[in-house]
Amino acid sequence: MATVFMKWLEMRPQNYDRGIRLLTLGRLELLQAQIVDRLVGEGMRVLEIGCGTCALAIAMAEKGAQVMAIDLSPTMLAEAERRINQVGLEERINLKLMDASLIGDQFEAGSFDLVVSSLAFSEMAPQARVYVLQECLRLLVPDGKLAILDETLPERFIARLMVGLIRLPLCLLTWFLTRTTPHHLQDFESMLSNAGFSEEVVISHLGGSLQLIIASPADKVASYMLPATVLGRLRHRTTLRTLLLDLWATFFRILPPYPKVHPGLYVVGQPDPGSPVLITGNFELTVRRLVRAIDNRMDAWVLVVDSAGINVWCAAGGGFFTAEKVIGALRVSDLEGIVGHRALILPQLCANGVDGWRIRQETGWDVNWGPVRAEDIPDYVVSGGVKTDAMRWVQFPIKDRLEMVTVTLGFYSLLILLPIAIFWRTLFWPILVSLVGLSYFYAVVLPWLPGRDGLAKSVPLTLISLVGLLVYIVFWDPLLGQHIFNWVLGLTALSVFTAAELQGMSPLMRGEQGNWGWEAVIGAALGLTYWLVPYALGWR
Amino acid sequence: MPKSPTMQSLLKEHWELARTLRRLEIHFDSERCRGVWQCYEVCPVGNWAPDYDRMVAIFRNGKQCIACGACILQCPERAIELRIPDA
Repeated sequence: MATVFMKWLEMRPQNYDRGIRLLTLGRLELLQAQIVDRLVGEGMRVLEIGCGTCALAIAMAEKGAQVMAIDLSPTMLAEAERRINQVGLEERINLKLMDASLIGDQFEAGSFDLVVSSLAFSEMAPQARVYVLQECLRLLVPDGKLAILDETLPERFIARLMVGLIRLPLCLLTWFLTRTTPHHLQDFESMLSNAGFSEEVVISHLGGSLQLIIASPADKVASYMLPATVLGRLRHRTTLRTLLLDLWATFFRILPPYPKVHPGLYVVGQPDPGSPVLITGNFELTVRRLVRAIDNRMDAWVLVVDSAGINVWCAAGGGFFTAEKVIGALRVSDLEGIVGHRALILPQLCANGVDGWRIRQETGWDVNWGPVRAEDIPDYVVSGGVKTDAMRWVQFPIKDRLEMVTVTLGFYSLLILLPIAIFWRTLFWPILVSLVGLSYFYAVVLPWLPGRDGLAKSVPLTLISLVGLLVYIVFWDPLLGQHIFNWVLGLTALSVFTAAELQGMSPLMRGEQGNWGWEAVIGAALGLTYWLVPYALGWR
Repeated sequence: MPKSPTMQSLLKEHWELARTLRRLEIHFDSERCRGVWQCYEVCPVGNWAPDYDRMVAIFRNGKQCIACGACILQCPERAIELRIPDA
């Protein structure tokens, strides 16, 4: 939780150490003492990245180490120089104003026994982190050590939530003061192993949000580097952000702006040149569901294509997800230089808009249409690309039906209920209850209703209500109250509407636009009935 | 300047689109089929099946068709079309 305050503290270097001590509840000092005790010895050559006011560098120099201390901030270095002069360690500590990504240019390979960094990696851009780690590997002697002390994202969800809540005000403050947001080290273990280190010791404090990681150069065989065009590793995680996005997606998925993923090449797991290449659109929920389905089950290259933040089926149908977009993304990502094969796996449900033959002819990549559901991808890949009929045919099970009905209800409530709540308040609750009730009723009974489109499926309920009306007139009250009459008409209209809307929610029925004509006719008929029958019966 | 659409023309356009979408049917020219079976690969409602003996695709059930156009786009022989039946 400290680094969110860093930028602010850096403007006041005199307060820096005190502020950091406060923010980490003294844990940072404990961990820095661990570094000095465990790793530092007489005559060792040490590089400190992001030395700040040199508290750690001074402690290491006092134990006999020769320290090269670099930092980005001139004010911090000035304060550091003042302190070093105070304790008389000018001989043992060299200060240098330098960006961490330049260490490879400035120092010789194998010129340090130890590289330490305290709260500096969380300030670097994610791409810079791996690069700096790789450079660290080069600067270290073979039996050297790397000690990173920084903010990390706790593994457990509750701890993560707590840290998030504590950080929120600090993040806001830092942002207002400096317009920057430091990022927790996320998934640092795999970043270390990507750079060629193997982790040895991890000491956690503050619920896992502050960690000291000690690592040493790994055997060259195990080292693994991500190609330069890879934007990052996608992992399945539940965080406050994903929960909020899920909450939005539950009700307002169909309203723009759609949450998006930056298009480009990503990895899932640790793919090698033989691993499959999966292509998908850049709707945030699409990417997250794909990753949820395959993370920990397979290693893959995932090429996220700009589909305007729309799911693959609708984006392909609407011309936002096309062969050109896929070809462009292939070029930009330099996949040809990264993988050894030429086989793409595209989502089957983008075949209505992505011209497979154009991709094949213009790029030489083969196009394979993968399964409909991401859950089937690992099995599909393991079987060598055998797609069973269950994988290729769209099902619309009860779980999906309930989800999609909820999604459209969020939209209705804005479209229909908001005006009613404002102008026609007495009808708000009756219409809300009818709308919700009818929508879920249709979602549940959909497969057992006759017909292959939403309008046809609304016929039975409409008939029942009209027969009910007739029975009421014949057996109870031939004069028919206007109240009952209005209710039957209103429910019929809602019933037709909700059933017809079901049609657009899965690639199982034709587009709901096919209903527009009939919806207009039915609407007009109901409106006329509402208008004329009261005259005929003498109510008006 | 292009004429701005009137209420009437918009309604007519919607009506035509709706009418077309409801009536479209798959027209399959099996003479041209070479058995690449991309239609089978991409159809989400299971309208197509491979015939491995004759190396052609079989159009199974027109009633299922949702007129998504995937088989038409992916057929290398352009053997599939969506048509309005009486046209």
